[in-house]
Amino acid sequence: MIQTHPGVTDEVQTISVPAFHLATILDQDRIVIDSKVSSKKRLLEGVTALLTHGSTLDTTRVFQILTERERLGSTGIGEGVAIPHGRIDGLDKPVGAFISLRKAINFDAQDQQAVNLVFGLLVPEEATSQHLAILAKLAGMFRDTALRRSLAAMNDANEVYNRLIHWDGTTGNT
Amino acid sequence: MSVIQRFPSHVSGLHNKLEEKYMKIIILGSGQVGGSIAETLAGEANDITMVDTDPAVLRRLQDRLDIRTVVGSASHPSVLAQAGGEDADMILAVTLNDEVNMVACQIAYTLFHTPTKIARIRSSDYLDHPEIFMQEAIPIDVIISPEQIITDQILRLIEHPGSLQVLDFANGRIQMVGIRAYYDGPLVGHELRDLRKHMPRIDTRVAAIYRRDRAIPPEGHTVIEADDEVFFVAASKHIRAVMSELRKLDKPVKRIMLAGAGNIGLRLATELEQKKYSVKLIDHNTERAKRVSEELHKTIVLNGDAADSELLQNENIDDIDVFCALTNDDEANILSAMLAKRMGARRVMALVNRVEYVDLIQSDVLDVAFSPKQATIGSLLAHIRRGDVVAVHSLRRGAAEAIEAIAHGDRSSSQVVGRSISEIKLPPGTNIGALVRGNDVLIAHHDVVIEPEDHIILFVVDKRHIPEVEKLFQVGVTFV
Repeated sequence: MIQTHPGVTDEVQTISVPAFHLATILDQDRIVIDSKVSSKKRLLEGVTALLTHGSTLDTTRVFQILTERERLGSTGIGEGVAIPHGRIDGLDKPVGAFISLRKAINFDAQDQQAVNLVFGLLVPEEATSQHLAILAKLAGMFRDTALRRSLAAMNDANEVYNRLIHWDGTTGNT
Repeated sequence: MSVIQRFPSHVSGLHNKLEEKYMKIIILGSGQVGGSIAETLAGEANDITMVDTDPAVLRRLQDRLDIRTVVGSASHPSVLAQAGGEDADMILAVTLNDEVNMVACQIAYTLFHTPTKIARIRSSDYLDHPEIFMQEAIPIDVIISPEQIITDQILRLIEHPGSLQVLDFANGRIQMVGIRAYYDGPLVGHELRDLRKHMPRIDTRVAAIYRRDRAIPPEGHTVIEADDEVFFVAASKHIRAVMSELRKLDKPVKRIMLAGAGNIGLRLATELEQKKYSVKLIDHNTERAKRVSEELHKTIVLNGDAADSELLQNENIDDIDVFCALTNDDEANILSAMLAKRMGARRVMALVNRVEYVDLIQSDVLDVAFSPKQATIGSLLAHIRRGDVVAVHSLRRGAAEAIEAIAHGDRSSSQVVGRSISEIKLPPGTNIGALVRGNDVLIAHHDVVIEPEDHIILFVVDKRHIPEVEKLFQVGVTFV
């Protein structure tokens, strides 16, 4: 199945996305709801902690990778959403994490809006087309206003998990 | 379902921008360096917290600037925490004490994982061992040494007689040189496009022209006038040829006189004598003069007052090619340089800290006035600018900047990659001078197409357009 999502940014729009299921990269342990962090730096530390949770990845290195990627250009895609991501060697498959913030913070996003929904992504050093596919899927997903609204309102990690992995790209509401 | 707004990717940076604070920066030490850094950075919508042991100094700064202050010892964990260590993107340790600066960076890293740690280290004893500053030892990402920056700057000026400013890019492969065009010079009265005819084998490009202190856009048909300040870019190996073409009158420098044997004077004398210049160094402090004379081998160290005309006369000031006043007293530097100029020194330069003075004393009295503040700020700005910015040189008393940035991504994730220079939408007053691709220097002609990982050297006449330049070099979300 090939699905094309109109992306938040022009660049995303042009990429066709092969089937990909969020459940393969996300689990309940990597979701934090209602986080109270107050700066981009601490948020990236939080994302790092979730991404490296239960793995042998070096947290210092992961934090550095995410920070350096942000410096090249903010991953705040607009509408309060950010997708901090990076490549790292020694990782066998992509891994994701999700944080929702109680109070939106400045993420230097493209539309200058503060960010309250954050999906962190770490991908293996190789295989860039897969990364693009995942990024495109995420960007498309978070373009769904109803999804963003419901995620921001949820206060249970399981609920968020189910909402995320069952998002099918067609809905407004659940 | 609500309509999703589209955001123009090229927001005009000046009007639509939300006044959001961008970076959280802690500055340790509110001395001359710390104070001027705070001034520049606070003016650029950064969230600044200044730490110092002296409440009076902090109060004075806070009266002028939009910053937070914390009184306390810069390296104490509690003080760093109070200053917002947990949230800070960057720590700038610029106290007068090397050890405090090092410990503060170590603590910030251990306790707060502060992403960027910059420290001022002055003692060459430490600087001689870069392995000290590795992440697993004393984690400092960038070391700044204002004295070394100034020393290097003066060296480059001496090596390029006639230049007002010589800036290095791409590890020295490209240089940007500021010169003043003079009457009867080969440059004056010709269109810029004639440069090529003058120098068929050498590629160069004029990046900026200042006429009576105002920038005018350098176009092919622009005619250079006498007294214009012209910034051009070329491969470093071609700079000499371009300079000699543009300023035929300048003889090479042999004899140099330095006033002030402080940190900068001593460093400079050491490097100059190694490069076979004949150097005289004057210091009024007998002890200091004695000490530096033991450290230097060929330099003639004189104990006396650099503003004493008799001394200058006896030392044949009219034979001196470059006179350089380097004490930490602005007024003394300006006056001794003026005196040296009047007594026949060919070219005089002075170290001047106060920006107001630099404005007063341009060209006619002194040939070059350089400010340690301005020299230092550039090396910091490189770490603050968004995008992969490698080098920043602050110019024209902070109003303009010369920037080296790396292009990443592809045609879809970058706004520059895959486009020819004429296709790139540059903000007003911004010019691309050259680029470095691998080991090759390419002068920025309109048809050159940018490739990923190119280093691009730009001149930005008005610093207020920097946010637009930053945007240009930032990669889109799909860049992995």
